[in-house]
Amino acid sequence: MPNLNIEAKKAHTYDAIVVGSGVSGGWAAKELTEKGLRVLMLERGRQLDHVAGYDYAMKNPWETKYHGKLTLEQKETHPKLARDYPYNETTETYWMKDVDSLYEEKKRFDWYRPNIVGGKSIMWGRQCYRLSDLDFEANAKEGVAIDWPIRYRDIEPWYAYVEKFVGISGEALGLPQLPDSDFLPPMDMFFVEKEVRKRIEKNFPGRHLTIGRVANLSAAKEAQLGVGRGPCQYRNRCAMGCPFGAYFSTQSATLPAAAKTGKLTLRPDSVVREIVFDPATQKATGVRVRDAVTLEDIEYFAPVVFVCASAIASTALLMNSKSDRFPNGLGNDSGELGHNLMDHHFRAGASGVWEGDLDRYFYGRRANGIYMPRYRNVGDDKRDYLRGFGYQGGGGRQGWERNVAELSFGAELKEELTEPGPWTMGLGGFGETLPYHENRMWLDPEKRDKWGLPLVIFDAEFRDNEKKMRVDMMEDAREMLETAGLKNVQVVNGESYPGTAIHEMGTARMGRDPKTSVLNGNNQVHAVKNVFVTDGACMTSASCVNPSLTYMALTARAVDFAVAEMKKGNL
Amino acid sequence: MIPRRAALERLSLLLGGALSPQITASLSGQVLNAGPNVAVTPEQTALLAEVAEVIIPTTDTPGAKAAGVEAFIIRVLRDCHELAEQESFYAGLAKIEAAGRQAHGKAFAELAPDQKIALIRSTAEKDKAFFKRLREFVVTGYFISEIGATQALEYLPVPGRFEGDVPMQPGQKAWAISK
Repeated sequence: MPNLNIEAKKAHTYDAIVVGSGVSGGWAAKELTEKGLRVLMLERGRQLDHVAGYDYAMKNPWETKYHGKLTLEQKETHPKLARDYPYNETTETYWMKDVDSLYEEKKRFDWYRPNIVGGKSIMWGRQCYRLSDLDFEANAKEGVAIDWPIRYRDIEPWYAYVEKFVGISGEALGLPQLPDSDFLPPMDMFFVEKEVRKRIEKNFPGRHLTIGRVANLSAAKEAQLGVGRGPCQYRNRCAMGCPFGAYFSTQSATLPAAAKTGKLTLRPDSVVREIVFDPATQKATGVRVRDAVTLEDIEYFAPVVFVCASAIASTALLMNSKSDRFPNGLGNDSGELGHNLMDHHFRAGASGVWEGDLDRYFYGRRANGIYMPRYRNVGDDKRDYLRGFGYQGGGGRQGWERNVAELSFGAELKEELTEPGPWTMGLGGFGETLPYHENRMWLDPEKRDKWGLPLVIFDAEFRDNEKKMRVDMMEDAREMLETAGLKNVQVVNGESYPGTAIHEMGTARMGRDPKTSVLNGNNQVHAVKNVFVTDGACMTSASCVNPSLTYMALTARAVDFAVAEMKKGNL
Repeated sequence: MIPRRAALERLSLLLGGALSPQITASLSGQVLNAGPNVAVTPEQTALLAEVAEVIIPTTDTPGAKAAGVEAFIIRVLRDCHELAEQESFYAGLAKIEAAGRQAHGKAFAELAPDQKIALIRSTAEKDKAFFKRLREFVVTGYFISEIGATQALEYLPVPGRFEGDVPMQPGQKAWAISK
């Protein structure tokens, strides 16, 4: 660094750098600062202040301009995001514009990239489930891909650790395939869900309908009150940001905890371009950043780097960090970097109408649905595909948005729609996708975005195993709902593309063997010991459950390991 | 292979309610073209308000006109729909006015309530696509308006708790935000 004097370099030096401020980055920053390290957290998106920045959170329906409809301008500036629902008027400013988020698709891939501090922890679905040994052992038992380097016993204490801080509402079931979390009280179920639950339990032994396990505070404990969070108000407007801090996000939880230590520096608008590798030490020395606004290039230094930028972005960052030692991307001795791209496949299931019981209603808007743990290929059940799925969905009474008779209008129509509609209930599967080597992402050798970063190219698809599973996702739902007494049960096997479930995983997987994996069992890059990747990129298989809780647990565990290694002088 | 629209409706049931507009809008795959807009005249605006009032009339609560539904519809048409769709919508509206003049020699606004109703019924029967779109706009615009949400429906901005099974109260109206 000939142009940087020693003092300036010192000012740019921290004990640890965290790339990304979402679920994983927030946890890395909290754990590292609480262990006494001075941390620089870099976020490519803009600052988003807790509460004050949530523009739509307290707006009334009549204060929205288009009631969720996209404008032609929004469709033009967001041709890819506009293909699906998470992008709309109320969350518009939380996502990157497509014109800034350029990428290429050999096959359709929906890449939802946030543009804010907090990342997707602001807009996430908040469903939290533990993986089990059914998941950790699956690859080895079936000879698929490579074995996970860890088992449930390795991560179990870390699940418990993060759950106490996050606050997860749910019901304990005691199932081996879906271990219970350290729960806050479960949310109530709708009348129709309770009825369906009774009938499924009676007619389908081994299948359980339970309330979703969700990172919303059904009751706030000291761990949450201590960082300024409060209980859920049942508004179901979570994705706009919660003024009550009632669901877990970086802003509501990990950021205030990290800030309280006085050891955190958060730098928004910081596009990390490269991890700098020193061949003399075989370690990273820090990162090169381009300011998203001023386009100024800056270098930061630290003895340890946590890469938590989201599966795709973290992988792209490693790929873009080239050196003589790593011509194909940092830590990519195995050639697996960018391969084994996974997401959950979904939108297959069924729904129906519950006739009668119109003298029952509900109060409040539950920010949660129901969950049915995986039962396929569990125990003695054997299907013509591998792995399985869980159901999400739920019931309720329809509102004014429901369909009405074709020609109806006038006082009769108004009267009808001011009364609650029928009870309905739906089940939609979330299925595990296998880690296919052929499903991958890589960097365009020539095309660059406005920050000079190579464009990501996606080539991934759901294959035969997923397609077979979807038939069960649809038919099982139909059978259960019909048996439970719902009428007019309709099935759906809708379009589902990799990326749409926003559970991207697997592109820098963990494994025991550096020849076939990028990370070891502590999320440490095999060949660059002071670089850790703890977001979805690390997943060796996908499980069928929502993955964020696992990233949190793995991040806390990796920080514990990293700091112990630093103290031993091993990093 | 189920038709796309049917698949979307089923998907909406799956999500426990009717399809939210952003899902329909975003999945319906309209061509992207932000072209010029229909310059809506004060007469068209007034006519739209009159027609909307027939679809959601004033009863024991104010109707679509009082709720200002026409402003919502004009805004959505202008900003979310292409010129061809705007033109076809305003042409449909003009047909109602023309039919009224032909049958009764009067502007729609000046017709008797039963004459207005008969005209809208005939439009619904003859021009189903237009009527469906018109009604969808009016229903949405009305129930998200302050009048619709707080007077025709029951609006709970901050419920504070959730109970999934409570007895219906006498005169209970549907929640303005259903989920």
